Amino acid sequence: MDNIAGSRPALRWVTQISVILLVLIWLLPTVGLLVSSFRDRDQISQSGWWMSPFAVVQNFGVKIDAGTATSTADQFTITGNIFEEAGSEVIRFGGSRAAPTEFKAGDTADLTRNRSLTVQIDGSFVYTSPEEITRDPTVYFSLASPPEFSLENYETIMTSSNMDRAFINTLTVTIPATIIPILIAAFAAYALAWMDFAGRGLIIAIVVGLLVVPLQLALVPLLQFHNKIGIGQSFLGIWMAHTGFGLPLAIYLLRNYMVGLPRDIIESAKVDGATDFQVFIKIVLPLSFPALASFAIFQFLWTWNDLLVAKVFLPSNSESWVMTVKIADDLLGSRGGDWGILAAAAFVSIAVPLIVFFTMQRYLVRGLLAGSVK
Amino acid sequence: MKRLALGGASALALTAGMAFADAHTAFVVGEGDFSWESYQAFADANDLTGQTVEITGPWTGNEKEKVDKVFDFFTQATGATVNYSGSDSFEQDIVISTRSGSAPNLAVFPQPGLAADLASQGFLTPLADGTAEWVAENFAAGQSWVDLGTYADADGNDALFGLFYRVDLKSLVWYSPEAFDEAGYDIPQSMEELKSLTDQIVEDGGTPWCIGLGSGAATGWPATDWVEDMMLRTQSPEDYDAWVANQLKFDDPKVVAAIEEFGYFARNDAYVSGGSSAVANTDFRESPAGLFEIPPACYMHRQASFIPAFFPEGTKVGTDVDFFYFPAYAEKDLGKPVLGAGTLFGITKPSDATTAFIEFLKLPVAHELWMAQGGFLTAHAGVNSATYADDSLRGQGEILRNATTFRFDASDLMPGEIGAGAFWTGMVDYSTGADAAEVAKGIQTRWDAMR
Repeated sequence: MDNIAGSRPALRWVTQISVILLVLIWLLPTVGLLVSSFRDRDQISQSGWWMSPFAVVQNFGVKIDAGTATSTADQFTITGNIFEEAGSEVIRFGGSRAAPTEFKAGDTADLTRNRSLTVQIDGSFVYTSPEEITRDPTVYFSLASPPEFSLENYETIMTSSNMDRAFINTLTVTIPATIIPILIAAFAAYALAWMDFAGRGLIIAIVVGLLVVPLQLALVPLLQFHNKIGIGQSFLGIWMAHTGFGLPLAIYLLRNYMVGLPRDIIESAKVDGATDFQVFIKIVLPLSFPALASFAIFQFLWTWNDLLVAKVFLPSNSESWVMTVKIADDLLGSRGGDWGILAAAAFVSIAVPLIVFFTMQRYLVRGLLAGSVK
Repeated sequence: MKRLALGGASALALTAGMAFADAHTAFVVGEGDFSWESYQAFADANDLTGQTVEITGPWTGNEKEKVDKVFDFFTQATGATVNYSGSDSFEQDIVISTRSGSAPNLAVFPQPGLAADLASQGFLTPLADGTAEWVAENFAAGQSWVDLGTYADADGNDALFGLFYRVDLKSLVWYSPEAFDEAGYDIPQSMEELKSLTDQIVEDGGTPWCIGLGSGAATGWPATDWVEDMMLRTQSPEDYDAWVANQLKFDDPKVVAAIEEFGYFARNDAYVSGGSSAVANTDFRESPAGLFEIPPACYMHRQASFIPAFFPEGTKVGTDVDFFYFPAYAEKDLGKPVLGAGTLFGITKPSDATTAFIEFLKLPVAHELWMAQGGFLTAHAGVNSATYADDSLRGQGEILRNATTFRFDASDLMPGEIGAGAFWTGMVDYSTGADAAEVAKGIQTRWDAMR
């Protein structure tokens, strides 16, 4: 191995380190999202996710009940413990909000008006005042809170009403919206690649042209059309819409792949008397499997993640919400401030696409090269 | 927090409060302080069994739950089903659905500007005759609500298209009563006092204000509220109206002065938590958290009545946090101006049940039912304010009722390109150091270019 040209150790190290670095940079946002999904909204706004594994020193204020004061000849005293359960340790304490950590636990603090306050490490305190204590005093103290993670966000999402419905709706949209365009596009691609007819070049040019038309342009006219022919806002409507929006890329990708298949095979099949349909079913379709699979992944991911098309082409009632709509319009709260829910929802909703991706990814790379080299 | 003895006690109080709220939300016809009489009359007069009213609006999440409870009473009264669906992107959705012919019966518009747009394209149906007179009579400052709901239709004729339901109050300053109490600060009664309190806090070593303009694609809007409030406190209401209509130019010295009044607070490093450079970067949802920190990161936060939704969990309005009216200058004779915003119902596809629904919204009980669930203010003068969920809301209702001048959020009334674009970005530029006059000039140039 040592004397293979081009694999100098130094160069190899540089390559490997930069690959690792790139992977880390790519992964970082996802890791942040994952960590955030286990924290609640208050924690997320308090500290960044990278600080979450560490204990945080936080300040608290606890009101103590003036009604429990006992009086001796010259002073009133309140005693008690600021903790309900033992186990926490006070680090510092103070008697005012502006200086909540003025004194070390165990010291005696002299407060205004000859009052004094002592807080021990275990949380027990003694508050004394020469005059009657009329207003509940507040004891401020700091303690190290251990890092806190919970599955609460995931619970909220999983147990929210109609989530199962939304999941099934998403599948109802996604599966036909992936299969229908592939079926149509495979036939079209074969015809455009291997059948001779007038205007073939023009049709290919039109399909390529359609690739650059943004689908947002078509939303309103298409929905108008659906209303006119009686489909309205329905699952049938969204299948048609996704099919239409997916077809140009599907036809272009598959046609370029099929053109690259060896001419000899197809010609010898024809010589042996095979019809176009037989050639398509028995030879071209099996050979095009990588391209079909890679387009299926694209189309599946895109329809799964889609929010816009679902909002336009499905009715707006909660029975026909897909997952993305459910997350955006129901779970995120009125003004979208629940970051924890957002992060957890992202992880819930990428679970299925991840499974699809990993089971089919070996076709993806092969398929991506589809039609690029002849 | 469960380790803290008294924290535990307050958690207990919270659960008890929730039980109370539950009892409060299970409304029964004929019980409580609600105005059931007119409701009964409405129920007797309308039988719409079998009909459906489709409504879309911007309320999602727990606001949808609350409004659904109100709509249930329409169903109870008339037998018609109400399908309300809320959307996060309502402003875009309603344009698509009206244009493609799949509009709902009613739409709840968060901005009058959007409703006016749709009305001018002929997508809205005017409200029944007499509604305008009814609103003028029965709403506090009634005529101003009629004007805000009146737009030109496709032929250019003015008609009333929108009925306001739910108002947000913007001229509020939130503070922690405990922090104020400990430091010995009093609630300022005038802008002069507010400014001297600001200086006082700085002198005592604290930071007076939390200001955050961040809001994703809408970053900058909280600053427009500041400027509008300042405009109402330095100039006459007529000038304000002229400014909205661009008869008073954006780069007029009066407007520039209002922007600089905002800058007095926001561009002083000592006045703002994190320094003035943090203003544009802080998210408006996270900005009020500074009030609750120990020691306090700031003592005051100016924001609309909806902001308690973003306070840390378990915060109780009234004890942990309270509000006071963003005061006016004592030396300027401009009364007690109040800035607000609101949502309005418009008819996108008329039907019998839809007409009845608008009638239902005129009933005091339609407002009271949401008032009792919290997070709702109304301009309807006929409601029983005893039904407000808590004293804090009742106090806000009082501010609204006692306002000598009520003006609607200017940025919501200006054309979208200004009110939801140039004004926002201009304010971000200003808060990060640009010159007020230049920013104002830039916005005016955009406005001129639109014509």
